[in-house]
Amino acid sequence: MGVGRSVGLGRGAERRLAVVLGAMLGEPAGIAEDVAAFFGQYLRRAPLLAAVGLRLMVWALEWLPVVFVGRPLPASALGPEVLARYLGRWAGARSYLVREGFFLVKMVALLGWGAHPAVRARYGMPGVAVVRAPGGAVVGTAEGAVAGAQQGTEGS
Amino acid sequence: MSHAEGSCDFVVVGSGAGGATAAMILAEAGREVVLLEEGPAVRDEDRGLGTSEAFFRLFRAGGTQVAVGRSVIPVLQGRCVGGTTVVNGAIVWRMPEDVHARCFGAIGAAEAIPLREMERCFDRIERDHAVAVTPEGLLGRNGLLMRGAAEKLGLEGHVIRRNVLACQGSSRCLEACPSKRKQSVEQTYVPRAVARGARLYAGHEVRHIEVQGGRAVGVQGRDAEGRAFRVTARRGVVVAASAVQSPLLLQRSGLGPRGQVGAHFMAHPAAAVSGVYRDEVKLWQGGTQTYEVDHFRQEGFKLETASLPLELAGVRMAGFGKVFQEKIGDYQRTAVWGVQVRAEAEGKVRRGLGGTSIAYTPEARDMERIRRGARVLCEMHLAAGATHVYPGVHGGPEVVRSEADLRALGELPLDPRAWSLIISHVFGTCRMSRDARGGVVGHDFGVHGVKGVWVVDASIFATTPGVNPQHSIMALAMLAAERIAEERAG
Repeated sequence: MGVGRSVGLGRGAERRLAVVLGAMLGEPAGIAEDVAAFFGQYLRRAPLLAAVGLRLMVWALEWLPVVFVGRPLPASALGPEVLARYLGRWAGARSYLVREGFFLVKMVALLGWGAHPAVRARYGMPGVAVVRAPGGAVVGTAEGAVAGAQQGTEGS
Repeated sequence: MSHAEGSCDFVVVGSGAGGATAAMILAEAGREVVLLEEGPAVRDEDRGLGTSEAFFRLFRAGGTQVAVGRSVIPVLQGRCVGGTTVVNGAIVWRMPEDVHARCFGAIGAAEAIPLREMERCFDRIERDHAVAVTPEGLLGRNGLLMRGAAEKLGLEGHVIRRNVLACQGSSRCLEACPSKRKQSVEQTYVPRAVARGARLYAGHEVRHIEVQGGRAVGVQGRDAEGRAFRVTARRGVVVAASAVQSPLLLQRSGLGPRGQVGAHFMAHPAAAVSGVYRDEVKLWQGGTQTYEVDHFRQEGFKLETASLPLELAGVRMAGFGKVFQEKIGDYQRTAVWGVQVRAEAEGKVRRGLGGTSIAYTPEARDMERIRRGARVLCEMHLAAGATHVYPGVHGGPEVVRSEADLRALGELPLDPRAWSLIISHVFGTCRMSRDARGGVVGHDFGVHGVKGVWVVDASIFATTPGVNPQHSIMALAMLAAERIAEERAG
């Protein structure tokens, strides 16, 4: 799995990606920066082929406003309205490859976003990693789990 | 890390549903077994860490494995001791009579693999894996809503039977059960095989099966630290590395009929449809998959609940920024159900650039089943009281709110590129056949043209079963191993 070690995000790329992801996910800078950091770690751990493909997509997303909205600027330098229009062009593109590329970036970003403690707290969810009681039982499970577990034991 | 070497009666390649079962049966029969698993052992600290960590630690290619054809479809498989049983939804289905007839009758193997023998194996597997109907308290709102919809619409359905002992309902089956209540084979048959003397080596990838005089005599490979290993097998090699990896191993070893090994890749492609309700659903409470509708099984699709974690629930939601936040903001009140299709399309597995290559495109007939299933799911969500439903199909209605909206779903595109499909059940790449012209293994599970090599995983299926395959794979492996155990030393 460690073959993707040479693929990652530099500090500048991570900072720029955070701006784009903030607009993509509708999150404030703090969370977007954490998600971008997660993205960089994901790239370093992913298999080489997947990491290279994703890194190319991140590059394209950052540097192709000139193609999609006619602005010769990186995406992270676009104003909010133009950036939204730009992302809309990717997400709704007729080309499957373009659409799928956008989807892949979003998917990896969501893996980090959905694991973020602040996001999970917003939904009243337990943390992304389980919390165990001293006896080893998982805390924060279904309200009917205890009764259900007993039935399950009997049933087996 | 321990390093495999030496000799044994049987080498078993792969420790998932098929391999673990075969290893245990062979060990119980008093045979000396070496069980080799490419992936790592599952430690307590690997469990319940969220989707991303599960992908990296427990799934093949970190969860990035895909089938590529007209569209790109993720193919999720476990890669750890216990294989995919560690990361699946714990659904147990006995192979129904009609499926047995389709899978084995059609290739003349109904007598060689009688259903009554499989039933005997099912009985034992269910006893050994605490299989029971999911208790009411673990259905979760996701399951209760689907049951309500099925009853309202008069659709045949039932609470799912699962291999879980005293489930805690944390809805984390796909991350390796954090409380080890799921009776995946790393909890059951792997330790039982080891207790009977089998030697288990995790992190050992078999690269080649050695053959001398037309008979398998051992395997070679590399461990996770890059060290070469070699194990001699006096009686033979049992391959159970999955419908993706088993054909690749045979190809690398030059075994099996050329043109057949890796061909006929088949799958159950699936799509999810989410509905938003007025009251809380809380997908993270209850069993991961608890209710299914098999009303349409003869039509070629099955519907089931699938409690997607927050990390994955928003993936196919259209929109971004504020719009995305508004939609995902309903997550607490969202139920997610899936359609899984008995697809007929065939693809191919081979070694490709950068690793495994899976070429696969669902046929139009398969896509029609997916479209029909998605429409039924939308109808069911509305019947269960959803305020709005997201079909998740590019080019189709973004939201369905009423009966009138449902009509438009009949026109959803059949192009797989418009859909968000996923595959977790794969078959057919070493399919069973009477002779070498039609497939890779004979009715005795032995690879055509070589002695002492058997395949006992989902790759032997000559067609897609249309029901969750773990139980059938285990029963077939059990049956095969009982017979293989009698194989004489070469």
